[in-house]
Amino acid sequence: MMANISDLSRVALDSSRDSSGSGSSSRSLRVAESMKKKGETNPFRSALSSLSQVREGTTVKGNDELERNLVVVETIAFGQGLPPEAVSLLLDLALSLRSGTCSRVLKFLIPASVVPQEAIVRGVSWLCVGKMPVNAQVLFLRWVLTVFDLIDCKDHLRAIYGFIFSFVTEENLCPFICHLLYLLTMREHVQPYRVRKLLDVQAKMGRQPYLMQLLALYKVFRPELVSFSVPTRMRTGFKNHNSTWKAALTAVQRKNRAEVMADHSLTVEVKEKPTSRKRKLHHLDVPALSSAFDTNSERKVFRLQELQSFTELIQNIHNIELPAQMGSLLGSSLALHYLDCVQDESAFLRLNFWLGHSLQEEFLLCPADGSLSSLAEASQFLSIILSSQQFLQESFFSTESFLYKFLTVWDGSLLRTHFLDLLSHVPLMPSHYIKVLVFEPLMQLYFTSAVFFKCSVMECLNNMLVKWLTWHSVNALEDGLDISLNSNGTVTMTLSGFMDTIIELVRFVGRLAAEGLRLENCHVLLLSQTLTFYETVCDMFVKYGLPLVIMPPAGVFYPALLATDSLTVDRLGYIMYRYRENLTLAKKQEQQSEQTFHISRNTYQEFNQHLVAMVSCLWNSKSFLPGTGFEIDECLLTQTKVPEYGSRFDLVHHPAFFKYAIEFHQKFWPRRKRVDLASIKVGKYWNWYVEFLFSQGFDGLNDFIQVNTGHSSSSVLCQSLTLFICLSGQCHIED
Amino acid sequence: MALLTPYSKIPELNTATVLLVENEEQFQSRLADAIVQQEKDINVNVRLARKLPLPVENSETRPRIDLVVFIVNLLSERSLQAAESSLSHLGPDYFLGKLCFLVTDARCGAVPQERLLSVRRLAASHHCPVIYAEHQTEDGITMTAMRVLTILKVSAGLSPVATTALYLSTFTRCTFPSDFDED
Amino acid sequence: MDEQARAILQRVIRKIPNKKLQTALRAWDHLSSEQLESLDYAQPKWLFLENLISRCEENRLSLKDVTKLEMAYYIDNPSKGTWHAYQLFQAEGDAVSVNFTQFREQLKAHLKDVVRHVSVRTKKLEDGAVWIRIAWGDNFSKPNHLKPTYVVHYLQTSYVFVLNLMSKHKPFLYQALLLSTRHVSIKEAQLSSRSLTAMRDLLMRQYQQVFPTNQERTLKERNAPPSHPSIEKEHAECAERRHQMACEAFGDGVLPKLETAVYKLETKYRGNSNNTLNDKDELFRGVVMFSSSNLLESFRHCVSAGMAEGPVTPLLSSITQKGRNSFVITDKVPGAASQTPAHKA
Repeated sequence: MMANISDLSRVALDSSRDSSGSGSSSRSLRVAESMKKKGETNPFRSALSSLSQVREGTTVKGNDELERNLVVVETIAFGQGLPPEAVSLLLDLALSLRSGTCSRVLKFLIPASVVPQEAIVRGVSWLCVGKMPVNAQVLFLRWVLTVFDLIDCKDHLRAIYGFIFSFVTEENLCPFICHLLYLLTMREHVQPYRVRKLLDVQAKMGRQPYLMQLLALYKVFRPELVSFSVPTRMRTGFKNHNSTWKAALTAVQRKNRAEVMADHSLTVEVKEKPTSRKRKLHHLDVPALSSAFDTNSERKVFRLQELQSFTELIQNIHNIELPAQMGSLLGSSLALHYLDCVQDESAFLRLNFWLGHSLQEEFLLCPADGSLSSLAEASQFLSIILSSQQFLQESFFSTESFLYKFLTVWDGSLLRTHFLDLLSHVPLMPSHYIKVLVFEPLMQLYFTSAVFFKCSVMECLNNMLVKWLTWHSVNALEDGLDISLNSNGTVTMTLSGFMDTIIELVRFVGRLAAEGLRLENCHVLLLSQTLTFYETVCDMFVKYGLPLVIMPPAGVFYPALLATDSLTVDRLGYIMYRYRENLTLAKKQEQQSEQTFHISRNTYQEFNQHLVAMVSCLWNSKSFLPGTGFEIDECLLTQTKVPEYGSRFDLVHHPAFFKYAIEFHQKFWPRRKRVDLASIKVGKYWNWYVEFLFSQGFDGLNDFIQVNTGHSSSSVLCQSLTLFICLSGQCHIED
Repeated sequence: MALLTPYSKIPELNTATVLLVENEEQFQSRLADAIVQQEKDINVNVRLARKLPLPVENSETRPRIDLVVFIVNLLSERSLQAAESSLSHLGPDYFLGKLCFLVTDARCGAVPQERLLSVRRLAASHHCPVIYAEHQTEDGITMTAMRVLTILKVSAGLSPVATTALYLSTFTRCTFPSDFDED
Repeated sequence: MDEQARAILQRVIRKIPNKKLQTALRAWDHLSSEQLESLDYAQPKWLFLENLISRCEENRLSLKDVTKLEMAYYIDNPSKGTWHAYQLFQAEGDAVSVNFTQFREQLKAHLKDVVRHVSVRTKKLEDGAVWIRIAWGDNFSKPNHLKPTYVVHYLQTSYVFVLNLMSKHKPFLYQALLLSTRHVSIKEAQLSSRSLTAMRDLLMRQYQQVFPTNQERTLKERNAPPSHPSIEKEHAECAERRHQMACEAFGDGVLPKLETAVYKLETKYRGNSNNTLNDKDELFRGVVMFSSSNLLESFRHCVSAGMAEGPVTPLLSSITQKGRNSFVITDKVPGAASQTPAHKA
């Protein structure tokens, strides 16, 4: 015993060397050290040795001897952490209740590297003896949960699963026991009698979240045994139990981590922790993927953090053990690869549980006090989630439910970019849900906020639409009817359901855009964001294979058509050109095969109406006249006293192109003193002017005019009036 | 008992007045500062009150109030009760888009969810918007001030485009959550 | 140093937090400055204690000196327990002429008369407070220095503040105090707090009180005008009135720091129909306790912020006005219209 203690005390003092913990090498080193310095005494060693000899019934009060020893060990524990042997020795001391210092010892039981599982097993056996007071039992279990990741290997612990399970009936211990079981459970542990027992307990204690979580895990492993339905969106089940040790443990681990990182630099691409953290209890960061370092485990199980390379991952993909702190997966790209390949339901369940917990408890419910550090921490955390989601191309459902909850109480400025980015990643859902969960709260925010917020909402919704469309074009099942919503195809949605959602989204944005533009006086940025959205919408059929064409509402179309900047009009031209392409293709397909799909007559009508309006306005100088799509009462127009109001928005006089018309005029008739723009509209000058416009880079307008006249831009030679006829003949797509 | 009415006084040129009602008087003055500092184009008057009805002595000097904002601090049950009881002193015209609720501490973990729901229910039943404010951060206050101003300008008829408060409120009014998003 | 002195020293050192050790030892003034320098105050307590003991032994310090250390620490940190106030009544003719030496001698003598083993140590501070440390024993055992009673008295005042007094020692202390201060009777003043200074301030009216003359001015100053001309407070006048009310009840400026106020109810429960709960004359006993880190400040804030309805009930305002924080409320005698609670001493 003495030799053992002497060498472990060396370890504690040399914890910087030892803490890397990589098994055998440091052990041999340790032995060598202890051989060398055997004769030397040190206080830690003697303290431990005398603590190990404490007899039952020793008094604490006024026992200076004991007190002094405890203080020595305590100091080392908080400073460097305790070596494994010391941990097991002290745990035994505490739980055997020999000295009445149980809770004190447990509170400073900070392991430096690993916790030997035998210590835990012995602890559980003390638990079974049943002499411990309840608070000591709870404290012990909390400690086990806190250091769970540091337990060197868990096979013996799993072997006594049944013993641990027997404690679920104890009301005080149940939450902790459930959590521990949750972390230990493997498929073979899920047995009918255990399920029955859990259901019994649940009947007695009500639907406690921790029981639900454990049952949900059981259901993942053996769905046939757990018949009752587990809600898909569950409240978080387990609380954090680590408050007692958190600060000390992180301090010790941080001190010891440098070398851990070096050892596993290949696997662990963990984001650096912020070095100074004022709020110790606020732990919104991703735990590092590091836990145990024992390689002589009997079972052939690999821990994710042991993997060094992608090839190793591939070779061992069938027997990989997940870390207890699922959050650490987010920081490591290898782990994400693993998640992506394996599609392990239990892994996702646990990851989601962890995420949901951190998001809800520590972010959503933790009011920002304005300190920069907590905000920075939160935003970093959200970006890690975001990048993981982008990597997996799938969102976690816990983030999702967090988003919906947060959206209802969001002020519109807190972490706006991160939040909207995450929101644009939400997966498809039935139209009814999205309306209530996303659109309604978003609309209330949108209409009370400034124009820049409106723009970012538009951008977010555009990204959402693009993601859904891409998802559809990639994941549409063979028969074209069902779309799987997650990558393993368990949740599906019918095509019509999907279309409903898309229609709902496009209509919603149409409404936001039209009213927003009105309220913001057609703000140019908002208009631009809106057009970006419609650039996605107009190509849904050609680009994404979704048989759906939705026209922009008048509230978007006309502000764009009559906008004062040329870029907007040009983009509108492009959008109308793409609509035409989509509609033509749809028409063609419809004629070829009867059964494909049907685009409603209204859509064609709307398109034609917009087209006529655009052509008569830009090309024919006939804006606002009857039959041109948007007419204004003549009396009203004459009242404005604008001469030739019909031609005020043609390509020459349109405020967006006015500048170009003047430039063209100056180039052509440099001598003329009186500018007479009307002369541009005559004969060949018109064609030259149009050529001139196209040469300025108005490609969208170019496409629009080309496709609607059937001529290449170089041969637009006809008169304006004839063009209209030819346009109406050619481009109207009759239904 | 005199009801507060929006149309009983002649509006002043280029002026909008908002009444911030908060029982605790904690957030209102900071918000008021942010509001007057942010708006440069029009004259914004801010009146601060603890509850309704307003004292009769001031009724002569008080300008026409275009928007009433009830600040509800979710951490205090009384705050909501005070707002609720003040509602009965508002003229019916205020319920046509000239009223909004402003909720602070909605994210706080200590807040019982039922209280948040009852604020939303109250707002939804009166067809008015709920603004959630991060009252502890500078950015949050600025954002809140901006949003109050947005509503104020419309309800005072100062929005550059013709929009009525009632019209805007059809988009912004709070909807009461249905059952399934509660989990 | 004998075993007992060491035990007491250990006890005292344990009580003192690490960062206060140095000041406490300096205030003690029994170690030379070199000795003080040589101690390492960051050491764990047990180690520090060993070093300290060796210094004490160098100086041949005894139990007496160790108790002085404890006393010095308590004098510097009087908020280490709950103090209770006592009031002396009916001063005799020569009460005003009692001086410190006289008082000390008499107190010691009277205590030693009744308790054979008692250790009394006194110290007079610059502000006039007389600190007395009493370690009680009885006829068969030596004074217990682990649980001493502390008494603070300002000569020529009628208040005594006591910490850690066991009820079996109460009569002895009462008698000794009465005889040495030349008073006829002593009663508990129904005031207790962790803060000795707060109690002293409250009872001896040393805190800033409100006088009607300066009220207007302070209120004007307090109610700062809004920061911007276009911000106006509708309830400014009400707020002013409330402030006034609060100041009338609790005073203006810094208030003594009391932590609790306790109201013992010895009333009958009456329902709507004015029936008692069970139609018997049984009392419905209950205790209402207010607690805060600064109770009076909280009350004042509650009133001025309008959280408590004004005018301030005498139940609250009598804390400052009567200088007590423990009340017993009994049923009103039928017919008596007085709102004030009946106080039992």
